[in-house]
Amino acid sequence: MVYSSLLFIYGFLPISLLIYYVTPKKLRNAVLLLLSMVFCGLISLYFLIFMAVYTLINYTAGILTERKNKIAAAIPLAGGIIFDLTAILVFRTEYFSWLKDIIRAPEGFFPVGISFFTLSAVGTLIDVYCGRIKAERNLIQFGLYFLFFPKLLMGPVLRYGSFSKILSRRKCGLNEIGVGFTIFVKGLAKKIIVADNLYMLYMAVKSIEVTEMPALTAWLGIIAYLLCLYFTLSGFADMGTGIGYCFGIRLPQSFSYPMFSTKIRYFTARWHMQVTSWFRRYVTRPLCSVSRSRIYQKLIFIIVWAIAGYWYGFSINGIIWGLILGTAIVIENRFSSTKILRATSVLYTFLIVLVCFVFFSGESLEYSLRYMFAMIGGSGLLADTLLLHLLKSYTVIILIAVYSSTNLFRNMIMRSGKTKLGAVFTAASPLVVLLMFIICTAFISFSGSSEMMLMKL
Amino acid sequence: MTKHINKITAVLMLLFISFVLVFTIIKEKGKESFHENRELAQRPAFSPEDLYDGSFTRQLNTFITDHFAGRSHWISAKSRLGAQFSEKIINGVYIADGRLLDAEISKRSSFEKSVSEINRYVEGCNGAIYFVAVPTSSGIYDEYLPEYLLSNPENMQISSLYASLDSNIRKIDAYNILKMLKENYIFYRNDTKWTSYGAYCVYRTVIQKLGFLPTAYDKYTIDHVISDFRGNLYNRTLYDDINPDIIDIYTYPSGAEVISSTSYDNEGHIRQKLLYDKSMLNSNYKYRVYLGSEVPMIKIKTSVNNERKLLVIKDSYADCFIPFLTQHYSEIAVFSPEYSEKGLADFLNPNDYEQTLFLFGIESMSNENCFKVLNK
Repeated sequence: MVYSSLLFIYGFLPISLLIYYVTPKKLRNAVLLLLSMVFCGLISLYFLIFMAVYTLINYTAGILTERKNKIAAAIPLAGGIIFDLTAILVFRTEYFSWLKDIIRAPEGFFPVGISFFTLSAVGTLIDVYCGRIKAERNLIQFGLYFLFFPKLLMGPVLRYGSFSKILSRRKCGLNEIGVGFTIFVKGLAKKIIVADNLYMLYMAVKSIEVTEMPALTAWLGIIAYLLCLYFTLSGFADMGTGIGYCFGIRLPQSFSYPMFSTKIRYFTARWHMQVTSWFRRYVTRPLCSVSRSRIYQKLIFIIVWAIAGYWYGFSINGIIWGLILGTAIVIENRFSSTKILRATSVLYTFLIVLVCFVFFSGESLEYSLRYMFAMIGGSGLLADTLLLHLLKSYTVIILIAVYSSTNLFRNMIMRSGKTKLGAVFTAASPLVVLLMFIICTAFISFSGSSEMMLMKL
Repeated sequence: MTKHINKITAVLMLLFISFVLVFTIIKEKGKESFHENRELAQRPAFSPEDLYDGSFTRQLNTFITDHFAGRSHWISAKSRLGAQFSEKIINGVYIADGRLLDAEISKRSSFEKSVSEINRYVEGCNGAIYFVAVPTSSGIYDEYLPEYLLSNPENMQISSLYASLDSNIRKIDAYNILKMLKENYIFYRNDTKWTSYGAYCVYRTVIQKLGFLPTAYDKYTIDHVISDFRGNLYNRTLYDDINPDIIDIYTYPSGAEVISSTSYDNEGHIRQKLLYDKSMLNSNYKYRVYLGSEVPMIKIKTSVNNERKLLVIKDSYADCFIPFLTQHYSEIAVFSPEYSEKGLADFLNPNDYEQTLFLFGIESMSNENCFKVLNK
């Protein structure tokens, strides 16, 4: 069950909101956990069992790790981390298919969100070991940290400390539900209206033999891919954040308009923000504290990006994506004092990011290289009639996508805040939200859901 | 101010969602959809196994989707909106200028299993065997489709099918005949299938290969029985900006008559049947005016006095084709493997028929289970 399905929107969500709000405040955490367990159970009962076992192991490992004796504490810490990493490797790579048979996973089983809760689990164990936080003894709250359904599919990856702070600073009410639905519908529209259409465009380009692909078609294809990926991931993230708000739990946003940043550094800082900061906190910093050598630190920086790339794709291509991105940031920092025009810097950032995502998107290194070759005119063609057809069909959606991936609209609203225009915007917003929601419902009415595409996280 | 607005948003959204939810719950759960012309999913039976691997939720989502309040309005709204601001492909259907076309012809699964069943059947046959593979409208009007949807065009599918069929089968080319006539009304605008006229044009060639002279077009009286037919492509999109279609009935007043046409179903019931069942025109299954409702076997006896017998193994493409054949054979047996649970041999002995004609739409060839009954 994904957030963008009729069963969730018109079944699970309203019913769980009703149950939540009729429950007395003291029991609400328990009810949230129960609802999250139902959500997992509806994905599949096996998934619920998997999550229960996963949570209990991490719970125990956390308590065992909390010791004064650091050497004795290292054993449960290592055990827990090995378990967590094995779990993600089993399900995201092909190397351990025999293990899947041992644990009797049903055919095609994939624990959704495993990439996110693995990071959460590992981070929490390290924090407990370092004494930054106390091991959680309250199983309900600890269970929520992993199972809480608004953050299950697409994060955000929160430190345990921040999560429990967010839980305790809860504010429930009609106001929060309104904000929540606004964010939820924004995410829904991102996924259903923009991403699903761009996916069709990307698939159209991808069905062309790469050796015969005209240069402009190749550019169009990779732009479609990048935008589609952004709108899929941020769409699901927004939906999750919105649902969280409806329950009074203010999860942070994962994306902050990364698409047309002026620097690659800004792009990476705004793309899956919590993931980027997770890698910085738990991998880059400890490794960098070993030596003060600048070359060493830069090398570590690049290697950690490669690991993050591997986390995304679990493939060579993912690693290359990370390597290029990391290297590009290192080079960029070197010239950071050089002044260039804003438009130029947006353009250069976008180009480098596109090149990175050529590797991110391909199934193999060879395919990506061929694709790059097509982009620089390797097929000897610039454009063809198919390109014109695609441009004619998709220009509107691309323009919508480009505009809504910038912060122009948000800034306009902010600036118009106290003026008459601002008042009109505010007054119209409930109707706009409802209208978008109706359009999204129409778009999923035929198949009943709009599934996760491009990647499984 | 903002707080009040947020509250209004919340109330509006909650009202809307509960409204739709309540209507979906209280709505009568029909078995069939009138607009989409198909059977709807039934309430999934709860079972621990289905819950264990997650298929229960998928069934539940399908059930809710099928019985969603105002489903047909939602779908037609989607078709209109989608055609406006993105590529004109809705639910796998391409909205071309003046007609709907199947956009997923290149995604068909391989014909391998169907072909091996047919070849196995043919090995045990004595008579002459003919095969006609009929393209869909997407095969004939492929110039309407953007070329990336045509990575595996239907003429290629047909030629590779013909190449892999047993060499004792005589293959008849319908594709090029229809392609030449594409300016005429040979395919429905809202359906993948050919019209009676399309079938007639191919009949002229087929009957010559079978050893007869075709009946001239001007000998037929043609009734336009209805002019508001919308077929399977409409059912998938509910897009009604395309002109509806005309269904024609061809009769040859001075020709041979059908003496009896008897249908046999899977339970062994035997019924009399009409070649043109006009009562179907008032139903939602207007195309079934040809040969009536679906049965595995029909045996047709005509007043033709030549003792020639023909076995036709077919799918729904042949329904409007069969009436033309009745002028040439004294007995025609029509077998629809798609609707049969019993083997062909349970209905008749194929070797009693000196000629066998396979007539299938190319789309049926990827339905691999369909052909198993031939060798059952």
